[in-house]
Amino acid sequence: MTYARRVAVVLRTDALTKRFGPLTAVDRLDIEVREGEIFGFLGPNGAGKTTTLRLLCALIAPTSGSAELAGMRLGRDDERIRASVGILTEHPGLYERLTAAENLRFFASLYGLDKRTADAQVDRFLGLMGLTEQRDRPVATFSRGMKQKMAIARAALHEPRILFLDEPTTGLDPDAARTVRDLITSLAREGRTVFLCTHNLDEADRLCDRIAFFRHRVIRIAEPDSLRAELYGRTVEIRVVPAPLPAHLERIRAVAGVREAWLENGSILVRTDDPLRTDPAMVRTLVDAGADVAFVSERRASLEDVYLRVVHEEDEGT
Amino acid sequence: MTVLAGRASRATIIASVCSREWREALGNKLLVGMTLFPPIVILGAGVFAVAAAALYPPSEKDLRAIYAAAPAVAGLDPTEAVQGIIAQYFLVLFMLIPTVVPLTIAIYSVIGEKAARTLEPLLATPVGVGELLLAKSIASTIPAVVVTWIAYVIYLVSVVLLGSPAAVRAVTAPRWILAVVVMVPLLTALSVNLGILISTRVNDVRVAQQIGGLVVVPVVALGIAQVTGRVVLDDSSFIQMTVFLIVVDLVVFFLARLAFQRENILTRWR
Repeated sequence: MTYARRVAVVLRTDALTKRFGPLTAVDRLDIEVREGEIFGFLGPNGAGKTTTLRLLCALIAPTSGSAELAGMRLGRDDERIRASVGILTEHPGLYERLTAAENLRFFASLYGLDKRTADAQVDRFLGLMGLTEQRDRPVATFSRGMKQKMAIARAALHEPRILFLDEPTTGLDPDAARTVRDLITSLAREGRTVFLCTHNLDEADRLCDRIAFFRHRVIRIAEPDSLRAELYGRTVEIRVVPAPLPAHLERIRAVAGVREAWLENGSILVRTDDPLRTDPAMVRTLVDAGADVAFVSERRASLEDVYLRVVHEEDEGT
Repeated sequence: MTVLAGRASRATIIASVCSREWREALGNKLLVGMTLFPPIVILGAGVFAVAAAALYPPSEKDLRAIYAAAPAVAGLDPTEAVQGIIAQYFLVLFMLIPTVVPLTIAIYSVIGEKAARTLEPLLATPVGVGELLLAKSIASTIPAVVVTWIAYVIYLVSVVLLGSPAAVRAVTAPRWILAVVVMVPLLTALSVNLGILISTRVNDVRVAQQIGGLVVVPVVALGIAQVTGRVVLDDSSFIQMTVFLIVVDLVVFFLARLAFQRENILTRWR
């Protein structure tokens, strides 16, 4: 995770709101995204993620509020914003009768790339996406995954400062998904900002420096690990063979630094704030009590657990 | 960090969009067929009718009916009169080509993009929607005008080779040549922008064609009235019609521009 080292804010919104008649799709969005950061934007279907993307890419106008991208103001510098960002839309939207190279060259020309640069970029991104051998094939003959990779190549072709990706790995096989994730990581390493909309919580967990849970408005923004620590503390699993006894559990509960302990599937699970200090003490306590400790490991709450808990708390709050 | 993105010039945008649309259109056999079918049929029928009129002169009864219906050819030799009226009648049909052909191209250009969901990535580029609309209009207008002009030139040469002096006079009349040179691009532009305007509201190519097809009605009515001598298009009425078409073209383009808004396309078009 690299975002902490980079502090320049490249995207900032201030009470950005979009209404469609009586429906408020995006409600007073306030976010700051930093340069080189992979920012996860997570939310259920119909939460307004795509509308947010369209707002930030200057495709639709906000009802109220403002946003600034790379120093450009939404509503005033829309064309420059569109030139500086790349977007992967929900649907690949490729010209099926054109070949892969023709599709990319067409978009390169609209971004003002001269022929030589365009050709070089087309070659580069077809190569990165593993589509070099298919460059002269009509896109109509491509699989869904290949089309998705083409659409990602198109979004990044002009080397945008901010890349907005809407569900980039949907429909991709594991190999292709890995290629896309590697590309996202390498783009961020170059200093580009990636705004990632996804349902894939595992993917967000692996890629994102920070995440925002969003349902028409932002529910929470944080680093995934901070959210875990805040909501679940740090959970340690102590495996005792053949099985832990109630007496072992009582002893563990008495160890300094243990917030909570319980039995689960033949293990003692312990919530603690500082495993480095409590783990050795817990092991000593169990050994003194005659228990055979097979292993001690840290158990991370999944982002799905975190997400469901945050959303649940939000529902209860509202 | 390298940043390559910029903004293309208007000429580059128009050239790129036209080139892309034409490449796609050439790969669409149905569209190519629908573009070439009307001019081929009208041209073939016209040449055949002029040639056949020379071989089969009309009867006295037919001739009286022709003189009554078309006072402009009254008093001419029967074969000449028939060839003249046929040659001129087909010129009217040639004016239908710029209304029918570009309509199909324009409708496919917009509804095709809607169906393939290619508009959103296109609108996400720094291209202005006005530029995009203009580029699409030009991309649909040029092939239709070129096809009409080529068909007219072939017709002209065929009539000169096969027809009577009256037929040759009809097809080489300066007013008709001017009509082909000036009116064809104006009618084409009208049809294209009408096609785009209709395509913003409907998703079915056939429905759009049926609605857009109404544009031929005034052209046919005016043409028949001109051929039969009911209406005589002199220089002044020709100029008036040209000005009228320019105004209508601008109004329809403006309406298409109003309908072709980035936000409407993304949030309301289905």
